[in-house]
Amino acid sequence: MENILEVNDLHVSFETHRGEVKAVRGVNLTLQKGEALAIVGESGSGKSVTTRAIMGLLPKPAGRVKSGGVLFNERDLTKLSDKQMQRLRGSEISMIFQDPMTSLNPTMTIGKQIMEVIRRHQNVSRADAKNRAIELLGLVGIPNPEERIKQYPHQFSGGMRQRVIIAIALACNPHVLIADEPTTALDVTIQAQILDLMKDLQKKTNTSIILITHDLGVVANMAQRVAVMYGGKIIETGTVDEIFYEPKHPYTWGLLSSMPRVNSKNSELFAIPGTPPDLSNPPKGCPFAARCPHVMKVCTEVMPDYSAVSDTHQIACWLQDERAPKVEPPEEIQIGGDHE
Amino acid sequence: MVRYIMKRIVYMIITFLVVITFTFLTMQLMPGTPFKNQNHLSPEQLAQLKHFYGLDQPIPVQYIHYVGNALHGNLGGSFQFGMRPVSSILGEKAPISFDLGIEAIIVGAIFGILLGIIAGLRRGTALDYGATFISVLGISIPSFVLAVFMQYVFGVKWHILPIAYWKGFEYHIMPVVSLAVGVVANVARFMRTELVEVVNQDYITTARAKGISSFSVVFKHSVRNALIPVITILGPLTAAIVTGSLVIENIFAIPGIGSQFVDSIVTNDYPMIMGTTELYSALLIVMIFIVDILYGVIDPRIRLAGGR
Amino acid sequence: MTLLNKNNEITQDMFEPAVMDSNESEVIAGKSTSFLKDSFQRLVRNKAAVISAIILLVIVALALIGPMMNKYGIDDQNVTRQNLSAKIPGLDKIHWLPFDGFENNVNLYKTQHAKADFWFGTDDLGRDLWTRTWKGTQISLFIAVVAAAVDLIIGVAYGGISAYFGGKVDNILQRIVEVILGIPNLVIIILMILILRPGLISIIVAIALTGWVNMSRIVRAQMLRLKSEEYVLASRTLGASHTRIISRHLLPNTLGQIIINTMFTIPSAIFFEAFLSFIGLGIKDPVASLGSLINRGFGVLQIHPYQVVFPGIVISLLLICFNILGDGLRDAFDPKLRQ
Repeated sequence: MENILEVNDLHVSFETHRGEVKAVRGVNLTLQKGEALAIVGESGSGKSVTTRAIMGLLPKPAGRVKSGGVLFNERDLTKLSDKQMQRLRGSEISMIFQDPMTSLNPTMTIGKQIMEVIRRHQNVSRADAKNRAIELLGLVGIPNPEERIKQYPHQFSGGMRQRVIIAIALACNPHVLIADEPTTALDVTIQAQILDLMKDLQKKTNTSIILITHDLGVVANMAQRVAVMYGGKIIETGTVDEIFYEPKHPYTWGLLSSMPRVNSKNSELFAIPGTPPDLSNPPKGCPFAARCPHVMKVCTEVMPDYSAVSDTHQIACWLQDERAPKVEPPEEIQIGGDHE
Repeated sequence: MVRYIMKRIVYMIITFLVVITFTFLTMQLMPGTPFKNQNHLSPEQLAQLKHFYGLDQPIPVQYIHYVGNALHGNLGGSFQFGMRPVSSILGEKAPISFDLGIEAIIVGAIFGILLGIIAGLRRGTALDYGATFISVLGISIPSFVLAVFMQYVFGVKWHILPIAYWKGFEYHIMPVVSLAVGVVANVARFMRTELVEVVNQDYITTARAKGISSFSVVFKHSVRNALIPVITILGPLTAAIVTGSLVIENIFAIPGIGSQFVDSIVTNDYPMIMGTTELYSALLIVMIFIVDILYGVIDPRIRLAGGR
Repeated sequence: MTLLNKNNEITQDMFEPAVMDSNESEVIAGKSTSFLKDSFQRLVRNKAAVISAIILLVIVALALIGPMMNKYGIDDQNVTRQNLSAKIPGLDKIHWLPFDGFENNVNLYKTQHAKADFWFGTDDLGRDLWTRTWKGTQISLFIAVVAAAVDLIIGVAYGGISAYFGGKVDNILQRIVEVILGIPNLVIIILMILILRPGLISIIVAIALTGWVNMSRIVRAQMLRLKSEEYVLASRTLGASHTRIISRHLLPNTLGQIIINTMFTIPSAIFFEAFLSFIGLGIKDPVASLGSLINRGFGVLQIHPYQVVFPGIVISLLLICFNILGDGLRDAFDPKLRQ
């Protein structure tokens, strides 16, 4: 499988009046053709910032890529000018955002907003663009597309708006779709519908997807590979099976433990004690050290290197070092436990 | 939507009726009688005059007459012009004032919007601070202070612009600028605020993520959406122009309603004062109504939600 | 302090468990400050606002002590020293400043044999303009502050009641406001003055009576917003009384808007008073206000411009500084409008 997108040692910082906030500190990612990669983490872990850096949508002038690169189609996206990025955005790499209620221009018809992206990147007539827009609305499951194309966003429900947003994103058949928490703002039942739609479309178009989420259920539903982010770094990556059934990082254990389960023996919800690190003054060693139940002296001093558990499973944790004590993951998440 | 318009029209009429009532009552409360040289009249002559003008009738009756007349455009006779109909005097002077006012609004709106866009897009930069500072100056310095200053510098000292009257294009420049500065400042400040708010909205990020050009993002999305609320200040702006014109017309000896109003005050010409008040009010009420409807038409969220 | 040994290697003993206090990481960096303190700090960082505040303080100080700085009253007339231009000893040698006592290259102090120096000059009745200008500033400020205070009280009460009780009460109160808005402010003011006869009290009453509308709308809008916030609902669920909700929840959070709006009402009142004086409906001679001074000066603008310049500058500075300060306060109270 070839890589369609590579993120190499990306460092992104923000200049604030309190100083430099290092939001992304050396992130490596690969996205293979046709796959869905999920990036999981708490808010503040750097997952959204990473994807905005890929798209070149960091807020200026505060945010910038300090070092590292994003390889797409043999070009480093971080080195391209905004004009050059504009040609890629919407046509080869698309992005959809979290809140469908505010992501569409309220004073423009849906049709115009879809046609805008088509006519920007493709040399087609208005009539053709209009037909394509109607076709896309049908594709994402909006009934009566010929009628609805003349309507405004406030005349659509949240779920339907998200469908429209997906339609816009896929209008020019991009190679990569980045979805930043696409279902977080939706009702649970609508969430399921949208996820099904995305899976369906992915099968049809073979688009590669980067899915950002903090919801492990969504991950289980959609992703083939998972990258876990914490404190601006990726601390574990693997296939979805490896992450769910053989997680090796204490933070991943914490994440999995905190998923509420219907048949769990405990009556209390589990939460990882402590709060994420302050990235204007990032910790020297492993970012999770302050909250890790298995923390060792070396963890607070030196950032662990990546070690490979398998071809597809990488982890950055000192527990993997041969000198470290052997630690078992907590009972609740062990295999043979509760997986439905 | 149509129901909403009808409702607003009814409100307009009610408001105007209240205004007429208010001016009528005010007129009753004015000290003194409207007659010149009243001391020279004997009591019988005074009584005769009063009878002639219907001023000896009970107040409610006078009121009914007044309202009836007003709605027919008869605003009484001006005292200082020998009972010449107020409406005809107003009719003669109104076009000049409207001219001045409309020019000020157009000039002010255009420059204000441009200034606001520059400040909003280049927020936090020297350009923004510069534009904002000009705005503050424009809002703060009273139009009459500015007018007097300009009159002195351009008219008296440098002799490049005429200092009074309304006889040609160059006569328009200083008065319009004096009035327009306030408009520019208010519109610019408002535009900037709206633009800054729009630019931070999610749908602008979506637009950028679609890869459309910066120009399109700025003008087809940001500015367009920011312009819509700016329409709402047209109402208060009209009031401000009316206020300003009172003194600007005075300073530049422009024969419009404004300077006439001031004259009427000085000569205690009550019908004139009332008539002018009613004219101004009517203008303002209609303006507010138009702005309301316009806003509802332009913003699709209101237009298609079935009115308010 | 590093645990790595001299060769910068990681040794076996570093793989021992470390004692971590997870409470440490929960220490919130930076002290939490109250809303007012926070806003004040933001305000102070706004240089323009700070400069404006200083200028305002200087003007107020001058208004208070200015008239006492020389021996002339506001009504000391002496025709022999009429229409002297401004002369400040010390600055009078600098000829490009307007303080040299010259006019059209004639040293008026010499030609009129004036023995004393008049810092802002004199008017056509020989009255000292320095004293009159600062006394006038006192009057203008007094009118403005009192008018602003009155319309604050009326405006907050009206808007608050309208918002808090909502429904029919709100409807009626708002209809009334709409009607009032249908008449240009200035026209109402002028009519009031005509009825009440020009004078200090009538001006204050007239300005206050028209100014409250704006405040009431802002207060009403803010309270409506707050009323639907969840903590108010929570408070009501817990059985809080009307007064408690108003005083502990709604008012404190509206305070910001009230202060900001007051900051803008003051220049508005100053403007109205000056305007009224300018068209002859304001303060009557010999009492002076900035507006009446400009009015009198306007008549001789072409020959004695200084009679307009000094009060003109003072009033412009007052208005500019209040507006900048108001803007600064608005930014300080609502940081979302900034970055």
